[in-house]
Amino acid sequence: MTVSRPPAVLTILLWIVLEVIAAWQVRTPEGTPVLAMWIRSVARPLAWSAEKIGHLIVDASLGTTDLQQVIVDNRSLQLEVERLSARNMLLEEDIAAFRDADELLRDSAGFSNGAVIARCTFRDLAAGSMEVRTASTIYLPRDTPAITGGGLVGRVVRSEGSRHWLQLITHGAAAAAVQTPDSDVQGLVVGTGGETLTVAYVPRQARLEKGQVLITSGGDGIFPPGISAATVVRVRETENPFLEIGAEPTADLRTTRIVMLLPLWSASGGGEAE
Amino acid sequence: MRFRLIIPVLLTLLAQRMLGMPGMPPWAAEVLLPMAWIVAAALLQKEHGWPYQALVIGLAWDVLFEPVIGPGGIAWSAACLALYAFAGLVADRSPKAWVGFGLIGAAIVTLVHRAALVPLGLPFSLTLGHWLRLVAFTGLWCGLVGAILKLDFPGQWQAYRSRKLR
Repeated sequence: MTVSRPPAVLTILLWIVLEVIAAWQVRTPEGTPVLAMWIRSVARPLAWSAEKIGHLIVDASLGTTDLQQVIVDNRSLQLEVERLSARNMLLEEDIAAFRDADELLRDSAGFSNGAVIARCTFRDLAAGSMEVRTASTIYLPRDTPAITGGGLVGRVVRSEGSRHWLQLITHGAAAAAVQTPDSDVQGLVVGTGGETLTVAYVPRQARLEKGQVLITSGGDGIFPPGISAATVVRVRETENPFLEIGAEPTADLRTTRIVMLLPLWSASGGGEAE
Repeated sequence: MRFRLIIPVLLTLLAQRMLGMPGMPPWAAEVLLPMAWIVAAALLQKEHGWPYQALVIGLAWDVLFEPVIGPGGIAWSAACLALYAFAGLVADRSPKAWVGFGLIGAAIVTLVHRAALVPLGLPFSLTLGHWLRLVAFTGLWCGLVGAILKLDFPGQWQAYRSRKLR
């Protein structure tokens, strides 16, 4: 004989339904149905999980925001470091410039009366020009000599406020009367438009050797005498009545930071003008 | 449940109710009279879908005797399923089997019913003595029913009438 057996799942579902019905009837001491307590018991972990997930999302969002802020701050700090580094470099440059100026004033004591210290802000050696700035606004007459610790730099060709433009001694149109320190040989240093100079009008019989320093003679009426101008690097005899002499500026125009401008020097006065 | 059995089952429940009325001995109510229907369904296996009908009996039990409706349906249908399972294992259909099935059915009903009350926060009020008396009385009640059925009074009455008319 076969026994009719109801589906176990259906029976269990019926039991669950009956238990739920019973729970709906029974009241807790607070007066709420046990079923509501069950629902709360089931819902509380879900609500807790949802709350924690919400907190997690908020925390992750805040973390992302903080991370972005950290990245921004890091970038700002990097920029600040770069700015400070650049400022440090500028300060180092300033210190070096001050040292140059101090050295220049010490070495050029004879020209310091009325001299103006200017700082090089731009140079173009190929064009033979340099821009310098003074600390204050000052007008410099055209052809005001410019010297540095190493020697002659050039002359002022334009002055505007605190900005002044120099024509370097190496400029193709620049020239300065020079002589040997013992005044035996005299000539004219002429710019070549490059980084070198030529010394013109030196007779073939002149005793001039490689490495000899030529100083300004003051004969050109622009530059004061006694300033180192060029160092002879090549002497060659040609068919011409004058030697073909190559020279280099004694001043290192590539690294010049500070120049001394001599606006009060006047050739006609035989020295610095008052 | 067959409709012809509704009235007898209701009468059984009514009798159960009467056993608990004031004036009756305290132990009189410590028997599950409807268990006889569950045991009969399992041993005679004449009814199909008895677990669901046992569930209805259990719900009726809850309505009449319990403060909460539901656990009784679970307990009585669980007992019915268990007895159906045992009936497939045991071939004996004697009154002794009725006693044994009654014992098992009563034990399951009480335990499952109390177990169903636990999640509801209701106290598990079942002492061992009460439980043993309930199981024993129910087993004896089922054995009595099995013995009466074994005697087959209708058949003997028919035989007696046949002899008289002859």
